[in-house]
Amino acid sequence: MGKDRDVRMSLQTLKVLEAFLENPTDELSGAEVLQRCRLASGTLYPILLRLESAGWFVSRWESIDPSSAGRPRRRFYRLTPTGLRRASEVFAGFGRGVLA
Amino acid sequence: MTSERAWDWVDGIARRLIHGAARRAPNSLSERLEEEWLADLAAQRGPIGRLRFALGCCWATNIIANEHVAVAALPAAASPMSHSQPLFTGRTITFVLVASLHAAVLYGLAMGLGPQFSKIIESPLTPRFIEPPPRSSLPPPPRPQISASRIDVPPNEAMPAIESDPTDGVEGTPREPQIPALPPSPPAAVNRVQGGPGVGFPSADDFYPDASIRKGEKGVATVSTCVDGKGRLTSEPTIIQSTGSKRLDEGALKLAKAGSGHYRATTEDGRPVDSCYPFRIRFDLRN
Repeated sequence: MGKDRDVRMSLQTLKVLEAFLENPTDELSGAEVLQRCRLASGTLYPILLRLESAGWFVSRWESIDPSSAGRPRRRFYRLTPTGLRRASEVFAGFGRGVLA
Repeated sequence: MTSERAWDWVDGIARRLIHGAARRAPNSLSERLEEEWLADLAAQRGPIGRLRFALGCCWATNIIANEHVAVAALPAAASPMSHSQPLFTGRTITFVLVASLHAAVLYGLAMGLGPQFSKIIESPLTPRFIEPPPRSSLPPPPRPQISASRIDVPPNEAMPAIESDPTDGVEGTPREPQIPALPPSPPAAVNRVQGGPGVGFPSADDFYPDASIRKGEKGVATVSTCVDGKGRLTSEPTIIQSTGSKRLDEGALKLAKAGSGHYRATTEDGRPVDSCYPFRIRFDLRN
């Protein structure tokens, strides 16, 4: 975690990054990203873990007590400053017509 | 009530799928993924959506496990090349599996299945001719023999007896008008000889309709024709007396038209003149 590594870019990965770049400070759960990107869960979660292990995302548990809430805690993901910079570079590269 | 139970049953399957998928994930991620996926499962709409989500998580587990193995292998690899390319990625494994499958099929064809194919080919190839199907299920009725149909010219007072022509199948067709010796007539009287079918006139057999032959239709039609001095029709022939069969009447009219140019013109004092006269066409079948 926290390592700044290259991530293999795919259309699905770009969709995920785009969802986070709309409001870079927002925290999104996997279910919310699924709804925004309309991806399959089998595609989304490996991407989230890949971006997290590359240091582009950080995640945390929802601050609730599952027993009192009656449901499991959600996991929230957020762009790191590094992830924000790298994702912005990727999309800027697309804007220049250069595949990052 | 039953449907609610069914949906509860589907939800139970979805939860069990997620539980099983998380257990197959790497140990460091197993508990986290199960709790995260169960939480996100609850946010999915409908039992079908939740089941689809759970199935996707099963697929995600495979990918995560493969990538986890690859990442874990990174520090152990000493060579600089392996830093950027893991040894066994999913693509590599898939490629190896597909290549192995192809090799197995080729080996099987070369060793096991090859002789069987050659045995099949060894059998002599014999051409087989397929008979064309009959044009109709019922055989066509035998074509009855046609008797010599006759074309009769009505008797005319001034007309001599007509000799039959045995060669063209038309009876009663005079070959040449034969003017008998008539008793001397008054000087004012005109010697008029009515015309009729002449030399080269078509045979009625050629215009006997096939449908009428099959049905055994026969009859006599009286046709009116107008002919010029050269034996050519000057107007359309018409049926004066029908055979009783529309087909035979049409055949008679066709015959009358086809005979244009072969009519014998009516003569007055030996000179051919334009005239109209009737004649009969007989369609008859020989038993």
